[in-house]
Amino acid sequence: MKQRLLLIGCGAVAEGLYAGALRKLESRGMAEVAGLVDPNPSRTAALQRLFRGAIAFKTPAEALEGVAPDLTIVASPPGHHAEHAVQALGAGSHVLCEKPMTTNVEDAERMVAAAREAGRVLAVGMVRRMFPSLALAKELVEGGALGDDLRFVYREGSVYGWPVSTDAAFRRATAGGGVLTDVGSHVLDFLAAIFGAPTVAGYADDAQADGVETNCRFDLGFRRAGGTVQLSWSQPLVTGLQVVGSAGELRLEPGVLEAVRWRRRGGSWQTLVGVASSPIDLGAPPAIGKPTTYFECMYHQLIRTLRAVRYGEPAAVTGEDGLLVVRTIEGCYRRATPLDLPWLSAAEQAQARERHWKRRRWAA
Amino acid sequence: MGRVAIIGAGGFVGARFVEKATLAGRDDVLPVVRSLRSMARNAHLGRPHRLGDGTRPEALADAIAGCDAVVNLTTGDPAEIVASAIGVHAAAKAARARLLVHISSALVYAGIERADLPDDAPPRVDHWMPYAREKGRAEMFLRGKLGDADLRVVVLRPSLVWGPGSPWLLAPATELMTRTAYLVGDGAGVCALLHVDNLVSSIDAVLAHPSPVSGFFNVADDETTTWRAYYEALAHGLGVDPATIHPVAADRYRGGFHDRREAIQGLRLYKLLKDRFSVETRAALKARLRGALGGPAGSAATEIPRPLVKRLQWEMQTTRERLPTDKFRATFGDANPMSFADGIAAALAWLRFIGVDERDAFAPSAATDLDPTALAAG
Repeated sequence: MKQRLLLIGCGAVAEGLYAGALRKLESRGMAEVAGLVDPNPSRTAALQRLFRGAIAFKTPAEALEGVAPDLTIVASPPGHHAEHAVQALGAGSHVLCEKPMTTNVEDAERMVAAAREAGRVLAVGMVRRMFPSLALAKELVEGGALGDDLRFVYREGSVYGWPVSTDAAFRRATAGGGVLTDVGSHVLDFLAAIFGAPTVAGYADDAQADGVETNCRFDLGFRRAGGTVQLSWSQPLVTGLQVVGSAGELRLEPGVLEAVRWRRRGGSWQTLVGVASSPIDLGAPPAIGKPTTYFECMYHQLIRTLRAVRYGEPAAVTGEDGLLVVRTIEGCYRRATPLDLPWLSAAEQAQARERHWKRRRWAA
Repeated sequence: MGRVAIIGAGGFVGARFVEKATLAGRDDVLPVVRSLRSMARNAHLGRPHRLGDGTRPEALADAIAGCDAVVNLTTGDPAEIVASAIGVHAAAKAARARLLVHISSALVYAGIERADLPDDAPPRVDHWMPYAREKGRAEMFLRGKLGDADLRVVVLRPSLVWGPGSPWLLAPATELMTRTAYLVGDGAGVCALLHVDNLVSSIDAVLAHPSPVSGFFNVADDETTTWRAYYEALAHGLGVDPATIHPVAADRYRGGFHDRREAIQGLRLYKLLKDRFSVETRAALKARLRGALGGPAGSAATEIPRPLVKRLQWEMQTTRERLPTDKFRATFGDANPMSFADGIAAALAWLRFIGVDERDAFAPSAATDLDPTALAAG
């Protein structure tokens, strides 16, 4: 039987990332998009052209009553995630919430509690968990191929290019933060999947006054590893993860989904390519495949979520996993200090420190 | 001059202008961006931006209402450069601004062939490079507006804008680190640089002038640098042996596969066909192509580094004359606070920040209060 889906939020994420995967589910008869929610009718109309059977709604409450979905995908602006997810869970729907899960810990805890109380699946959209490269990296780390005393550097940055339909992502009041909340959600989940739960050992960013950070750098400690993460919305960082251990070294680029490079200490670099290991349908047992593009990863993530709904299999990223990321992000912001921007003049650096958002808050 | 609208505030130069103004405590600058996403680059400043697009002059005029001066720093698709220049001019007129500062490019001349090239010399509108050709055509449009007494038009023609964030810094540095850097001939060609902070300062000098005169003005750094000096300064700072820089013949440019690919990508038919495929389809095609060509990117780790010589770079490196800037200096004064040495120091600091120079990659951040390796061990 087809599972009925409701999509809350019809902006750039819904259209650019989810629509293709949802159409594939529909064409394969596994699900139908029954409802679309957005306060802007032009947004729902745009997606109705792709999902002919979907009814448009202006509010989640109307839609949840009108559609009675099996699964609700929450892709509204992050500041609304908790409200919309809790509403959906309360109405008996399972939920896949797009990242960032929420903009504060209280909201994330509220979502986890609501899912538990309702006995429904709460999954978080961290699509990079579907990358075959992640599974390879995890295998190398856990299997001891890199040895002990693991140190890592993770950088990810470029000039922001996501076609947002509001400026909500650039205001602390609506987004909670900047590049850490946005890209950092993915990165923290990715690192937690490889190394386990992190401890924040220091955090610095460039946010001034009421702005959100476009650059940040922080140190994380894990049970078996420690290292630095640097993220940017404005600078072309040399992007990728490097892990060095007593026995070997690993390099992974988020743009290369299928493979990692690694070498034994003193040896030459080798490329490892992931194998098919992820369900691609709702059969029992499922057919197995391997995503090769970001969009295919979105499809695989939806399949994992629908299987969690139908068979009780674990979601790729649970609400608890998402809560861990939100807690880590909040831990970063709590200890925020001004980031060194050493290419600026001494006077500009002093002024940037003076205008740092934490300093302004203390002054207030 | 009263309030100043910065059109293209989300670009490389525009963002630096807004950042410098903010850190200097100025509140006379109004950043204008074409799309919401362009607000991200300066989102850390907590400064309101307005939306405005040179190709929609009426809406842009509303966005810049009340501004005395308009600075056009828009870039983007070459096909829109002329329309944008026309639109920004129309919007500035409609908003009753008194000064329009338009940023063109010295690329409109291809290479500089005469030491006495007048600033008013017409651009090469038959340039092979769409960006330079369209910049030249935009200049031709503005040439017809110089007689307007109500809206003065100052066209600045910068040489190669370098500094943190510039492709004219990132590309050579990356090439040096990957041992693919090259110098044409003996590397003695004039490296016509203009540091981004010097360009910002030049724009400010025009804005600060009590009665700017309409016209064309070349702008460049004060010092004359050769390409060899530039590359060797970067190599030294990055710890790269300058002997790894490949020599390239200077007699003529030898085109390659990438030239043909870029030519095809510039065709209208190519763009039309590309737009017919969804992003998903294009991603899938790319993944398949990558697989067919020998596996995921990064698998060819043992390749011997070879330089990829590009036509623009080759032409720039064979330039023998300096861009004359006497006219600007005589009119607006000396506006270059950044020396070559200071610019290189800032450039190297930025390259370390973005991770091009990895020598201290595993050092903990300054903000940390715990040693991550100790955490790891614990």
